[in-house]
Amino acid sequence: MLRAIKWESWQGKLAGYGLLSLVMLLLPVFGISVYYIHILIGVFIYIIMTASLRLVSLSGQISLGHAGFMCAGAYTSAVISKDLGWSPWLTIPLATLLSFILAYLVAIPFTRLRGLYFTMISLFFGMAVLAINEVFQKITGGQSGFVGIPTLFGYSKTPYYYFFFALLAVCLLVMYRIEHSRIGFTWKAIAQSHVIASSTGINENRQRILCFAIGGLFAGLAGATYAHYYVVISTTTFGFFTSIYIFVYMMVGGINSFNGPIVGTTVILLSQVFARSLKEYVPFILAGVLLVFLYLMPQGLTGLAERSRIWLNKLRSRGGEVSGKGISNGAA
Amino acid sequence: MDVALVAFVNGIVLSSIYVMVALGFALLLSIMGIFNFAHGAIYMIGAFVTYGLAHSLGLNQWVSVLLSMVLVGGFGLFLERFCFRPFAGKVFNVIVMSIALILILETFVVTQFGGSQRSLSAFLPGNLKIGVVSISADRIMIIGVGLILLVVLTLLIQRSKIGQQMLAVSQDREGAALIGINVNRTAAIAMVLACVLAALSGSFMSSLYYLGPFMGDSILLKAIEVVILSGIGSIGGVLLGGVIVGFMDAFLPLYMDPLLAQAITIGIIIAILLVRPKGLFGYELF
Repeated sequence: MLRAIKWESWQGKLAGYGLLSLVMLLLPVFGISVYYIHILIGVFIYIIMTASLRLVSLSGQISLGHAGFMCAGAYTSAVISKDLGWSPWLTIPLATLLSFILAYLVAIPFTRLRGLYFTMISLFFGMAVLAINEVFQKITGGQSGFVGIPTLFGYSKTPYYYFFFALLAVCLLVMYRIEHSRIGFTWKAIAQSHVIASSTGINENRQRILCFAIGGLFAGLAGATYAHYYVVISTTTFGFFTSIYIFVYMMVGGINSFNGPIVGTTVILLSQVFARSLKEYVPFILAGVLLVFLYLMPQGLTGLAERSRIWLNKLRSRGGEVSGKGISNGAA
Repeated sequence: MDVALVAFVNGIVLSSIYVMVALGFALLLSIMGIFNFAHGAIYMIGAFVTYGLAHSLGLNQWVSVLLSMVLVGGFGLFLERFCFRPFAGKVFNVIVMSIALILILETFVVTQFGGSQRSLSAFLPGNLKIGVVSISADRIMIIGVGLILLVVLTLLIQRSKIGQQMLAVSQDREGAALIGINVNRTAAIAMVLACVLAALSGSFMSSLYYLGPFMGDSILLKAIEVVILSGIGSIGGVLLGGVIVGFMDAFLPLYMDPLLAQAITIGIIIAILLVRPKGLFGYELF
């Protein structure tokens, strides 16, 4: 019986993700407009950002400067590929590696701080990246933007769509494996209590640095590919509020679930797109989503799904024995 | 010499404004334990209420500032009760709440007044000549009002009963509740005080510089810088922190590229956080 339930839930998950992927892959074939392809590519990039932020927060470190790594990745790849003429296929891995190293070096002193202090220093790190960027505006263009970045596939959108979808799938798979590996459990242990974690022999500092650095790696990757898709980048794209919005997507989706960032980013970005006829009133939609989240579903959208599943199961088994199936199904 | 004098006066003006905004931010942080990112938006709303009363209703500008302080203070009462109290202790939910507030307030102003930059007319027209330098009377007035307010606030916090209660709550919430301090009432008073100060400084700044829907974003970051410099939970330290940041903002751009000056300011803040996370005068809150 237990075996059957386990197998069933595993199959259901795979079928769900597979069906979703199939629909996403077939969308351009059935001819959705170029506009929506463009929007979806943006959603894919921001899902990578949000999921990597959640990876960082697994170890209990909430970062409000995550866009700083996106900025570092984007500008490294853009400047090298344009000014030195290297192929973007070479500069994207290079930029990813560099943001990993940057995140690693930065995390060494930053992990001295915990909790709200860590959040504050990460916030100022994000601003420092922008400020340094603007100091060197002869190279980077500063607020007026850096133009003429080489593209990956020319100017047709469909190849980009498949490229970013594949990139997203690979990134999410890697992050899922990391979260469910020994390292991921170590991080969760640190988040729950760093004292108990270190007393069981976990090198807390090294794990937190590693966690921050891996988050920086994915953010750098998202930034580098972003630069070669949008072709024009400016510092306003990676500002203070970008970091905060990524954080908000994560919170609305639900910080406790792996699907949270996917659901949160998609719902918020698409709701803003569908409401675009309201023009300058669009931010009210986002504010409404945030208020609904705060007052009605503090566990986020995925938390709400989880709760309703448990409730449905209870309803179904009312009178009979109460099964724990709904709970065991859930992504922890 | 003249440039240095102007920068000096600017430094005092900026310091007093920063202190007023940062004091509100620090009060909320230490008493309610919340990171109110919407503080900049409240500052902006205060300025726009003044603008609306003075230009659309044609009231005297001084009367409209007072009315704006009352209105925004009342708004603060509403915020504390319905927006922040339900999420007490959940730092990250409060951040989401303040983002929602920023979106609502800024979008409201953009839709009502448009996104263009404007400015309030001067509170005291005219210039004051000191040697060869002329300084607008507005700046002198702001320095005066700022100094008086700071003295009053320091006395209020150090001497009055409610000020002592605020200090007690900021040091130990449970302990304060245990000896019979009404923690929620203290938080509400702190919120009203913070909003009133923000409205006043917003109105003053928009008569000196400009008035726009996004003017609160930069002052918010300045307030956070001041609070980090002085230390979370240290209300006296905010005075010195505000003066340091204000003078750095006034003098550094004279001697170097403003962008470089900004990078250096942020670098100093990061260094202080790393070396002494509790700030120059504060104690660790968490």
